[in-house]
Amino acid sequence: MGRVLFPQNVADAMKGGWLFLLCVLMLLLLVTSTAAIGAETAEQAQAIPVPNPSADLWREVRQRDGIVVGKTQVAGVDSGALINPYGETWRNFRMQQLIPYSGYLLVGMLLLLLLFFAIRGKVKVNAGMSDKKLFRYSLYERMIHWFIASVFLFLALTGLILLFGRSLLIPWVGQELFSLLASASKEGHNLFGPVFVVALLLIFIRFVRRNIYQRGDLTWLLKGGGIIGKGHVPSNFFNMGEKSMFWLLVLLGIVIIGSGLILVFPLFGQTRVTMELAHLSHAITTLLMILVIMGHIYIGSVGMEGALDGMTTGYCDLNWAREHHAQWAERCEQEGQVVSEAEVSRLRGESSGGHIPPAGAQESGQ
Amino acid sequence: MIGQLIDGPLWYFSLAVFCLGVLFRFFTILRAGLKPDLAIPRAGGAAGALRNLFTRFVPRRDVATRGRLTLVAGYLFHLGLFALLFFARPHVDFYAERITGFDWPALPYWAFIISAEIAFIGLLLLWLHRLLHPVTRLLSTADDHIGTGLVFLVMLTGCLALAQSFEPLRLLHLFLAELLLIYFPFSSLMHTFTFVFSRGYTGAIMGRKGVNA
Amino acid sequence: MARMKFYCDAERCIECNACVTACKNENEVPWGVNRRRVVTIKDGEPGERSLSVACMHCSDAPCIAVCPVDCIYDTLDGVVLHNKDICIGCGYCFYACPFGAPQFPQEGAFGSRGKMDKCTFCAGGPEEDLSAEERRKYGSNRLAEGKLPLCAEMCSTKALLAGDANVIADIYRERVINRGASVLNRGVSYQNAAFRASRGMEGKSSMKK
Repeated sequence: MGRVLFPQNVADAMKGGWLFLLCVLMLLLLVTSTAAIGAETAEQAQAIPVPNPSADLWREVRQRDGIVVGKTQVAGVDSGALINPYGETWRNFRMQQLIPYSGYLLVGMLLLLLLFFAIRGKVKVNAGMSDKKLFRYSLYERMIHWFIASVFLFLALTGLILLFGRSLLIPWVGQELFSLLASASKEGHNLFGPVFVVALLLIFIRFVRRNIYQRGDLTWLLKGGGIIGKGHVPSNFFNMGEKSMFWLLVLLGIVIIGSGLILVFPLFGQTRVTMELAHLSHAITTLLMILVIMGHIYIGSVGMEGALDGMTTGYCDLNWAREHHAQWAERCEQEGQVVSEAEVSRLRGESSGGHIPPAGAQESGQ
Repeated sequence: MIGQLIDGPLWYFSLAVFCLGVLFRFFTILRAGLKPDLAIPRAGGAAGALRNLFTRFVPRRDVATRGRLTLVAGYLFHLGLFALLFFARPHVDFYAERITGFDWPALPYWAFIISAEIAFIGLLLLWLHRLLHPVTRLLSTADDHIGTGLVFLVMLTGCLALAQSFEPLRLLHLFLAELLLIYFPFSSLMHTFTFVFSRGYTGAIMGRKGVNA
Repeated sequence: MARMKFYCDAERCIECNACVTACKNENEVPWGVNRRRVVTIKDGEPGERSLSVACMHCSDAPCIAVCPVDCIYDTLDGVVLHNKDICIGCGYCFYACPFGAPQFPQEGAFGSRGKMDKCTFCAGGPEEDLSAEERRKYGSNRLAEGKLPLCAEMCSTKALLAGDANVIADIYRERVINRGASVLNRGVSYQNAAFRASRGMEGKSSMKK
């Protein structure tokens, strides 16, 4: 309106043909009026709401928390979500935290074990290995142990290939070859995942009774499990550390299995956010499990004298049992379950006796 | 180059070795002849042989309780492997293309995967049993371990090649399968066929004696 | 070099889904794969808007960052492409992408993923331009023919724009200015302003008045 008024004023003034002074007056008036008009338009601009639907739309679409789900003709899980901001969160987690820190942790654990071995060396049986043995793990127990062990190692290896392959292996073997390896790893990992579920279930059912915490476990913990110092802390069939490892593995295993199943079967309508969270928890728990298992393998192999025998032959050394599992060894001795080494090798058919071992000793199936 | 060799000539060679080897083994077994059965036959042997062939699929009760694990794992492995070998879609396609010229209904993909899992569980447990049990450990020869190992590797490479989009992985699987075919007739893997002979033989003897065994 | 971008003008998109259909037809995508989709926000309510979305060809693409086999790359034109010979179908790009662009044909059992497929900005793949192999794996390569993606080229309301980012930005900026001016000068609604010509400050319909 203001702009229309303005030329009218000027025209009127010109028509009048009055004096210069009047003209000047009018000019003054004009200046003031234009100023007023300017203020008026500004007021009007504020008064007319300038709609900005685009801004509203994008505010709607890209909210700070939550994902707006619209409608779409395209059938599919999540296809209505226009923007999923957590994808970027997941990317940052994977690229900036998971890959570097898990690398540091794995290498760190390896160095730690090496350092520990350098300082402490192999934990010897103080009394020396005896010629007496105790029956420790049945055939079935050893079978499921090595079953879960082999499946776990395969899964860990394939998983680590997928996690670190791009940064570690591609520079070495090239992209094509690594792609083969990664595809094989992915398929193998997916196929053996459910096998691990079965294995963990078997382990849990078999070993859960002996892993329930009991009296004496606390003192074991307070004395640091005998890692520090020379003395051994008495414990039952499993000590506090082994029990804790068992429960840690069971709990981690449940998370690993749950998240793994969510990831491997993307057909129950789970959304991307669910899968991102599942991947995150899968990564963290498997990393922890690998670290724990590294320690487990260390103790079982080079870390301790006599620790592996129970899991390979089924019999452990009496002196080893006395030192590491005093309560259990004592009970076994009282019950007269001590066998001589000669007897063991006869049972295992290592001597040329040719006897058939008694069924009860070895084949105690389930 | 190596791929072409594996895919073509080596496949036909191994198939020929397999077929001729199996026939040769049959021939030697049949030529070995039978000891004359001097007992007066009470009944014909054929019925006993047939009965024994099928009843032995069900284990005796004492065996079933004592060796429950090997029994379950054994069935898991053999059934899984059977389903896998003859009814997986890629295998059916392969046979139809290379051998038979016609195909037959294949398992749905999910059943194929489940049978693979079952077969793996069974095979791993049985192999560990073989390694850890003092008796089977002594009984096992290198042949047993090579046979088991080859079957395991064939299954493993098959599982690694599940994406079906990387030619080298398929060729690796095929190559190991060819090795298995070549090894098969000259090893204890022949039990795939010879169990019929042994069960039939025992069943026939028992049948002629009128013993229900 | 140009920096290729899509832009979907929500004021113009009428949810006709022609871009989706055109994309499927042009690229002969596998069953179950949708490289492009139209999403409607506030469907049936005041303020309903539709947006056509596909791969946004990000400058810092999350999919490129997370791919475990490094099969996704961007070209000099700023188009994000991938190599199906390398892809293992792990789905990580699908987790990372904010727009849900990567798609997987369900090849195996239990929803196991086949090789990833996504919008290529009609630029094919790493194979030789316009080769049969490229056509089979990635669909058409219109960029090599000197054309822009079909979805944008045939958009009836010209809501979906594709091309060099600077050009797209200029077109859109002009539209926005025009709309604002129409609303302020003529008091027309923003919705109507969206379809006015962008030449000058006044649209066609206001000239008729």
